[in-house]
Amino acid sequence: MSAASTPAVETLLELRNVSKRYANGTLANDRVSLAVARGEIHAIVGENGAGKSTVMKMLYGLEQPSSGEIVLEGRAVAFRHPRDAIAAGIGLVPQHIELVPSFTVADNVVLGSEPRSGPWLDRPRAAADVRATAERFGLDVDPHAPVRDLSIGEQQRVGILKALHRGARILLLDEPSAVLPPQQVQALFSALRQMAAAGLTVVLITHKLAEVREVSDRFTVLRGGQVTGCCPSRSASESEITEMIVGRAVAPLRVQRVQARTAQPLVSARGLSVLRDDGRMPLQSVSFDIAAGEILGIAGVEGNGQAPLAGVLAGLETPAQGAVRLAGQWVSELGPRAARSAGIASIPEDRLRDGVALGMSVADNVMANRYHRPPFSRFGWLFARRAHSEARHMLHEHGVVARSADAPIGSLSGGNMQKVVLAREIAAAPRLLVASQPTRGVDIGAAQALRQRLVALRDQGAAVLLVSSDLDELLALSDRIAVLFQGRIVAHFAAGTVGARELGLYMTGLREQAGAAATLYTPFTPHSEEVSA
Amino acid sequence: MIQDTASPTVTPQPWQLPAAIAAALLVGFGITALVSAEPWRAWLALLTGALPDIRFSSTEGWQVHRLVRFGSVIEEAITLTFLGLAIAIPFRARQFSLGADGQMFLSALAAAAVSLTIGGPWYAVLPAAFAAAVLTGFTWGLVPGWLKARYGANEIVTTLMLNLIAVQLYRLVITQWMNDPNAGFLTTPVLPAAALLPNLLPRTNVSAMLLLVPFVVAGAGLLLTRTTVGYEIRTVGQAPAFARQVGMPVERTVILSMALGGIFAAFAGVHVSNALLKRLPVDLTPGMAFEGLVVALLARNEPRAIPMAAFLYAYLRAGAQAMERTSDVSREVVLVIQAFIILFVVSERLLPATLSPARLLQWVRAPRTRAQEAR
Repeated sequence: MSAASTPAVETLLELRNVSKRYANGTLANDRVSLAVARGEIHAIVGENGAGKSTVMKMLYGLEQPSSGEIVLEGRAVAFRHPRDAIAAGIGLVPQHIELVPSFTVADNVVLGSEPRSGPWLDRPRAAADVRATAERFGLDVDPHAPVRDLSIGEQQRVGILKALHRGARILLLDEPSAVLPPQQVQALFSALRQMAAAGLTVVLITHKLAEVREVSDRFTVLRGGQVTGCCPSRSASESEITEMIVGRAVAPLRVQRVQARTAQPLVSARGLSVLRDDGRMPLQSVSFDIAAGEILGIAGVEGNGQAPLAGVLAGLETPAQGAVRLAGQWVSELGPRAARSAGIASIPEDRLRDGVALGMSVADNVMANRYHRPPFSRFGWLFARRAHSEARHMLHEHGVVARSADAPIGSLSGGNMQKVVLAREIAAAPRLLVASQPTRGVDIGAAQALRQRLVALRDQGAAVLLVSSDLDELLALSDRIAVLFQGRIVAHFAAGTVGARELGLYMTGLREQAGAAATLYTPFTPHSEEVSA
Repeated sequence: MIQDTASPTVTPQPWQLPAAIAAALLVGFGITALVSAEPWRAWLALLTGALPDIRFSSTEGWQVHRLVRFGSVIEEAITLTFLGLAIAIPFRARQFSLGADGQMFLSALAAAAVSLTIGGPWYAVLPAAFAAAVLTGFTWGLVPGWLKARYGANEIVTTLMLNLIAVQLYRLVITQWMNDPNAGFLTTPVLPAAALLPNLLPRTNVSAMLLLVPFVVAGAGLLLTRTTVGYEIRTVGQAPAFARQVGMPVERTVILSMALGGIFAAFAGVHVSNALLKRLPVDLTPGMAFEGLVVALLARNEPRAIPMAAFLYAYLRAGAQAMERTSDVSREVVLVIQAFIILFVVSERLLPATLSPARLLQWVRAPRTRAQEAR
């Protein structure tokens, strides 16, 4: 238990030996005890499936503990429904905040608990309320701005405001930084600190170690549903926390960089533009090369052209201009099947929608990119046994935890599902792999295994385009990095010469190199003095 | 992460269908008890009215009565099986194609036309009739598929409209070119004996088509599970974005799913023309395919379950007629009960998704455990 908590601080919220067993028998939390002090920022850390979300759900009344008790201000409470939790002053800010884009900030904040005058919505009062709350906690948003014009960071602030507006004294945040670019993460953290200073209590779910030490006062580590550590954040080192999280020391991935400047490009894209029906151009004359055995990383805040770029390469989108050549052969505009038979594989960003067929078996999913050729089929007749043995082999080789090859792939955890996706794509022996957010929502152990597979594929001579919003991952794996901003490449760096802060400047559009491209012969973007100094 | 993580695929349990039917029958009995003076008798008529009456008497030995009625159950079950398959195949690709009616009408017409025009022994006429019907059903299914894939036309609208066109075309052809002037009403001439499917059960129209049913059902099952086209149909139905991503020909699959459904509607067509009616009257009633829709729904689009569902449906219908005749309950009540069955089956969430012994045990023990922990 929290032996390290100083007796001077008053415990506000406490879990005492709370266990949660789901109806399917999974023991998600096993005698979890943790204490959150009033006015602190408390981080709950752990891998996917460690039970963090279950703790959150129980605190917010979405799930009920099977045993043990939740104690709020010294009294045991039972939340049967989120409205009980809200009434007790607990507010939740989900990871993906759902707002009405056409409504203003004030409208969104008061939605569901609107101030009224008679039967009508009292708009002026709503705006005044929202402004007052925002000022009290130092959350800077214009109540009259339509939500569709806001950045993701601002939308998140609206989500926080919404919880505060309903009278939250304890704020639960679920992986709040996962969707934000680095600069906005800083803004979020300073807002959280200000809220804690104003007397709010913040409980934060995260799996990023740096954040634990940067923003939280104390943390609790969960592993396999049990508490494995709990300390004041400043006294713990990153490697100590890592060990608590994964149960063993994880060797940092050391990747040998490849210098490909003099090589022949295997993939070369020139002047790629994508035009939408409404006239928007999500991708504007993007040019890059990737040599065989090289990883080109694409950095950028989400929604700056990564999806159309991956779509064009995978044959899912037709570029309005420009072309992609793979080993000299024209591969754009041919459609996904032709792109795949030319040797392009892709890990889609939205795994649950594009990466797998959730209701179908592992075996059915494994053959999806090769089913139409021998050895999986001949003359339209499937060899089911062949797909089975292949699936079993893959499960074994990639260390996938699954009941059997017949289990629906939807029953696998995110990390295991992604291992199957990567295994399937690698099995096609691609010459170019487009990997979009390959380790998103995947726990540390599985992410490490996935990254090693990507590097191994590179070392076998494949070209890899790595699109990731995890900058640490990009910096660790890429041989070169290009930054996308509003559909254009605005910077191009060699690996090891650039850090997250400098990338962040380009990702947010604060800086850009005119006419940048990521071909093998274009010069790298010069480093700016104030950052490198 | 906090969002509902309940798995998006609820696998139906084998006992759920019987449970739903039992629940519906129970509710139905409740309704019968409200409207009838002798609910037991009425209910018995509904449940057993379709059965043949087998009796033994010392003077005449074993005797089977009411075989005609039971025959009609089997006849209808056969037609409904084929129509259920015709609906289920496109449904598996998540195409809500309701074109089985039109496909069946035109296929029956094609089979009858071939049977009437080419003479010769049965082994020449019957395969030709089948081939003509299958080709017609397939082609008529291509039309809405193509409209959907090429122009994005909603398949529900197009198939319903094409049904109207098919029925009117059928009536036009029979009135104008295939009418038998000696019949006294608008109909085709009786098909030649060589074109008729051999009868299996005297005094009924149960024909050799019954023997074909297992093969057709197995064929549909194999089509879905053992062919690349079937795999494409299942994948497109389950996860269209994924299918596109991995390079499947999604448009072709959409078209083929509707056309392949037409093949099974064609079997229903042949059954109507070359076994049940032996000629095609102009006033053949449309709408049968919607009962096929119910059958496909009951069977959750699983080919293996479709014959069972079709039999159940046909059995209840015959029982309903018996109930209407022998009791004071009107046929409408049976329609209500049928509606209940469908409601119970489609609202699968009414019933717990898993009922394992471990879960039951947990259910029973849970209050006690909680009480113990409170102490």
